[in-house]
Parts: sequence; structure tokens; C-alpha cells
Amino acid sequence: MIALPILAFVFGFLIVYRFIPTLPFELANYVALSILAGFDALIGGFRARLEGKFDEAVFVSGFFVNMILAGVLAYLGDKLNVDIYLAVTVALGIRVFNNLGRIRGLLVTHREYARQTGDAGQ
Amino acid sequence: MATVTGVKGKDRWLLPLSAILLVMGGLLGLQVHTQSLRPRMEIGRRTSALGEMLRSNQTQVEAYKKEIGDLRMRLAKYETTAASDQGMTKLINEDLQASRAALGLVPLKGPGITLEINDSSLPALKGVDVEPFLVHDWDLFEVANELWGHGAEAISVNGQRLVAGSAFVCSGRAITVNRVLISAPFVFTVIGKPDTLMSVLNTPGGELDKLRGYQLRVKLTRHAQVEAPAISVAPKFEFARPVVEDVAQGVTQ
Repeated sequence: MIALPILAFVFGFLIVYRFIPTLPFELANYVALSILAGFDALIGGFRARLEGKFDEAVFVSGFFVNMILAGVLAYLGDKLNVDIYLAVTVALGIRVFNNLGRIRGLLVTHREYARQTGDAGQ
Repeated sequence: MATVTGVKGKDRWLLPLSAILLVMGGLLGLQVHTQSLRPRMEIGRRTSALGEMLRSNQTQVEAYKKEIGDLRMRLAKYETTAASDQGMTKLINEDLQASRAALGLVPLKGPGITLEINDSSLPALKGVDVEPFLVHDWDLFEVANELWGHGAEAISVNGQRLVAGSAFVCSGRAITVNRVLISAPFVFTVIGKPDTLMSVLNTPGGELDKLRGYQLRVKLTRHAQVEAPAISVAPKFEFARPVVEDVAQGVTQ
């Protein structure tokens, strides 16, 4: 089951790497920010799942909207000569680390719970 | 927090996750591909553009040089004919010679100095900006300006005679003067009163002091006779036209 997402990732990477021409360099910076936003949405979704609050509509919409917003905001910032990309980087970075911390906490709690009840865990 | 294994969300989670990871993978592939090509493409683009510029400039210089050679031969012919005549033509010929000397079209010699400026010999340190320790176009410009301002009558740098319209243009690691690339060490040959030129250049806080402050290698020598070559490419007037005055009516045409 877990193989499907991993295969999707590898497939997407290889297809684009091999067959799609590169971006103009002016756009590469914005795509990097979009990737950060996508990563944030991914981690957020994982945390929501561990907390049992996962909703695919929120997950998918959050992923695409944040991704586009991050790139567009940074682009607008460059046009206005405001370093919005810094704000995006910091905000998303903090969110990613917060979520990772919560995920770690949840996983540890789960393991202890499993040990106490004699469960085999995951 | 209790429903850690969240069976409820298990199936609903896989498909959107796969879709999203597909997109993420694609974007990462795009980005990695772009970034991996970045240095190569940038360098390639820059060197090819520079090479193109250099080639077109060099052909232009060659064309100019040929044209000037032809013109000089014609002029020399006129001059020998004119010099053999008497009176008015002789006067005109003298005028012509003076103008040509002023324009830098004839080599000049006389007492003067040579000044050699070279990049600093200090070893490059990591993290320290090397720019101040190299000779720049503005250094040469400022030295030339100082010399002109204090009685230099003819100046050449690395064989390039400075005339009206000569400019020092930064061209990467070299400097372009009179459309010709020159590079360090830069040797100024200056005709003028040696004492004055030496003392001007050695003024405390002057140009050379500034350069020595950055450990640039500066060598100033006095000479009884130096020679400044003629300019290889004379200035050309594409837009400027002489104003012809009608002497009889005093009206500018």
C-alpha cells in the first residue's frame, strides 16, 4: 500500500527530469519556494492523519493553493522590491518544523501506548 | 490524539497522497534538473557573448587600421607635393603637421617619465575581496587625468597613445583603450617636464599613494628621452560635423 505514493513520487521525478526541458532561471527561485510550500502541506497532512483529522479535500486544496500562493507572492514581492520570499521561507520553515515536532511526539506516544498494552505496535 | 492508527482515514489518504507526491516529484525533478545545468549554461552564455563581442571588435579594429594606413599614404603624398611648393602651401603644411601632432597622429619624443603599475603581489586571502588589490580602469583614468592636469604633453599606455576621445573601459580582467585590449602591467609613457611630473605623482595622498596603500606595484622612472607612439586608430566622426563660418557675412551656416 505504501508503495503507491513512493512509486508516484519516483515516477513524477524521473519523467520530468528526463523528458521536460528546464525552467528559465528567473522562475527557478519561485519553483523552489513552491516546493517548500508543497513539502509543508505534505507534513501537515501527515500530522493530520496521525491526529485522526485527515480530510482529503483540505489536504489537496491546501497543497495546490499554498504552492501557487508561495510562488506568486514571492514573484509579486520581487516586482515590488519587497523580500516576501524571506517571509515565505521563514513562515513555511517554522510550520514544517512545528509539524515535524508534533509528528515525532505523536509517534513516541503511540509507541509507549503500544508497549504498555502489549500491542505489537506498527 | 488517541486514534493514532486512524483506520478511518487509511484508504482516503493513499490516493491524494500519491497524486500530490507525483506533483512534488515532478517539481523536484524540474528544479534539480534546472539547478544542475545552471553554472554550465551561465558560463557558456557569457563566454560566447564575450567571444562574439571580441570578434566583432577585432574585425572593426582591423578595418580601421587598414583605412588609416591608406589615408596616411595619401596624406604623405599630398604633403611631399605641398612641401616642395613655396609660400602659402608651405604654411598650410606646417599647420597640418601641428594639427596632426595634436591629434596624436605622429609619434612624439622628448624628456619624460615612465610609470609602471601592476596588480598587488600580496597572496589572495580567502574571504577577502581581491578587487581593491587589482588595477582598475578608473585607476588608469585618474593617473592620466593627473598627468594631463600637470603639464603632460603626450601620454601612451602600453603603446596606446591617449588622445581626445581615448577612454579606459573595463573589459573583465583587461582594459580597453582606443578599442585595443591591454592588461597589467600598465606602463605609462609620458612626455613632459620630468621634475613636475614626478613631484605631481609623488604628492602625499596623491594617486600613487592611494595605489601603494593597496600594495599595488608602482614603479616611477625618469628618462632623458621617451617616445610616445602614434595612435593606431584615429577618432572617427560619424555624427559631428565642423561648423563652417562664412567669413564675409559672419553667418554660421
